[in-house]
Amino acid sequence: MEYKTQKVAYPYFITALFLFLLQVLFGLWLAINYGFSLPQALVDVFSFATARAIHTNLLVLWMLLGFMGGTYFLLPEETKREIYSPALAYLQLGLLTAVGVTALTGFVLGWTKGRPLLEIPPPLNFGVVIGALIFLFNVGMTMIKGKNWTVIQVTLLAGLVVLAGLYLFGIPFYHNLSVDWYYWWWVIHLWVEGAWEMVTAAIIAWVLLKITGVNREVVEKWLYVELGLFLFTGIAGVGHHYYWVGAPKYWLWVGGAFSALEPVPIVLMLIDTFKHVKHRQLVIKNPLVWTYAVGCAIFHLFGAGFFGFVHTLPMINKYTHGSQVTAAHGHVAFFGAYALLNLTVFYYAMPRLKGIEFFKESLGRAGFWIMVMAMTGMGLAFGVAGVLQTYIERVLGMGYMTAQGEMRFWFKIVFSLGLIFLSGVIMTLIALLTIKPVIKKEG
Amino acid sequence: MTKKTAYWIFILGTLASLLVLLALTIDFHREVGALTHSDQISSQVLAGKRVWQKYNCNDCHTMLGFGGYYGPDMTRVYLRIGEAGIRFAVEKPEQAFSNSFRKMPNLHLKPEEIDNLTAFFKWASGINNNYWPPQDRKYQTSSTGVSTSASTSSGEELFKVKGCINCHTLKGEGGNIGPVLTGIGSKLTKDFIAQYITDPAKVNPKAQMPNLHLSPDEINTLSEFLSSQK
Repeated sequence: MEYKTQKVAYPYFITALFLFLLQVLFGLWLAINYGFSLPQALVDVFSFATARAIHTNLLVLWMLLGFMGGTYFLLPEETKREIYSPALAYLQLGLLTAVGVTALTGFVLGWTKGRPLLEIPPPLNFGVVIGALIFLFNVGMTMIKGKNWTVIQVTLLAGLVVLAGLYLFGIPFYHNLSVDWYYWWWVIHLWVEGAWEMVTAAIIAWVLLKITGVNREVVEKWLYVELGLFLFTGIAGVGHHYYWVGAPKYWLWVGGAFSALEPVPIVLMLIDTFKHVKHRQLVIKNPLVWTYAVGCAIFHLFGAGFFGFVHTLPMINKYTHGSQVTAAHGHVAFFGAYALLNLTVFYYAMPRLKGIEFFKESLGRAGFWIMVMAMTGMGLAFGVAGVLQTYIERVLGMGYMTAQGEMRFWFKIVFSLGLIFLSGVIMTLIALLTIKPVIKKEG
Repeated sequence: MTKKTAYWIFILGTLASLLVLLALTIDFHREVGALTHSDQISSQVLAGKRVWQKYNCNDCHTMLGFGGYYGPDMTRVYLRIGEAGIRFAVEKPEQAFSNSFRKMPNLHLKPEEIDNLTAFFKWASGINNNYWPPQDRKYQTSSTGVSTSASTSSGEELFKVKGCINCHTLKGEGGNIGPVLTGIGSKLTKDFIAQYITDPAKVNPKAQMPNLHLSPDEINTLSEFLSSQK
């Protein structure tokens, strides 16, 4: 830690990690809902819908808190000055956590806006907006006062502004269902394939810069190219959600063409990560951080690139749309692109916040491999369930529940793998919370 | 490649894609009215959309394919099971899904809320969305839905509403848990069918089919309909 205000990142990381654990626990409950029969009395008071709202909102919340913590951690080192206001950073965390806890409790009591992933109802969602504005103000002021602009800073700030701005499209009550979904995707898709990519690409570029010591010019050049391609394919690529929404037919072509190219920047990102690692100028201090950074790039390609590509073309998507194939893609993509990214940052930043240069990594390494293997298995099990559903329900035209009956076995597999995943999460949590230094032998 | 070239790739790539999206968004707003029959979005349809959101239905069911995958898609539900079917499932899910391994919560909707929800589903079933979901396309070819179609007998409606269709196939449509019932009228008499529906286990102790506790009127209508399937 070079600047003392970097420590504001620590409570963000801790909060994010506990929300991650909670998200996984609710995920397991959802898998039980799918694989087993629950009594009517339980379903009446705590439905799948409520648990799903909690599972997905926890995802968004822990991801965003992770990005925010990562931003606060790198900001002083990038701008070469302390954070504009550490007090505001703590206030922001308190506010967002309070909004989150209130929202989740509200869901259980039936207080919801009833739009998937954007269930937080007004006026609570204005708390999110205020939290985001405090964050943007604090980050922006630090950069402005620092007067030390870099490409990483600019893309990070731009990504955060776009991220906050897009959230506004999710707030109104839309009269027409088709228009509703049209703009719902401006939040969801343009977040994960636009703004979030900008933010995380900037963060991971910075981490790679720090651990490899390669030339900043090279890192920033790659950042431009990757983001250019991410946004070129991603922005109009929102069209792959407009095939069956009640939009004009040409979206089948536009969405198909742009989104078919979406894996290209991810492949580039993987090549670029390997290149930086190969041409490193610094000694490897903590190999686990490297494992995470490379694992993130590989899993990003596997989950977002491969699992996304297989069902993005309209003639396939006609049958897989709204099936468990999407769930397979969603789980592996979010884990690969964003969960592993946050954990990479945590493993890089948390030891440094404690002043530890070399840390013991056996438990953390076990946690990594268990999570990665379990999530790969879950992606495949969801995928098999999705293909069964696609074939039985959509191709053969049999009843919805007929298909679900055939899929139950695979949800039991998802549940079992989820338990293994949970054990990996717990190991990771313990490893990060109890980081211990390695005492290097002299000579 | 220089950093400057990379910078221009970023700027031009982003702007080009953004321009495509914005131009097509303007066109979307010009065409969406006709594609979705937005003139038919009455205050009741709007109230129905609010009911749909109020009870968070969308986190179990998909609509236009978006949402939770725990229950079936609702885009064409009005054509699939009709007004009576929707009412039965929402009002008494514990009965409608008593034999299903997956349950739907009873959220105690007020009668007018169910009316509004049905109006919303009715409107949504007419959205022109390139015939998705594919398995429900068969309902779209007829211009009207189950409960309003003149050619549909009330026996056929019961067959769908009470969920027989979830297990049995009739005229190429339905589930595969129970036997296919196409042509059942040439094998079984009306009385036998009525007796079977009344209490399946009494006729066949090994029967998997549940007792649906239908009223004598409903049993009469349904057995009449099935025995006419020759």
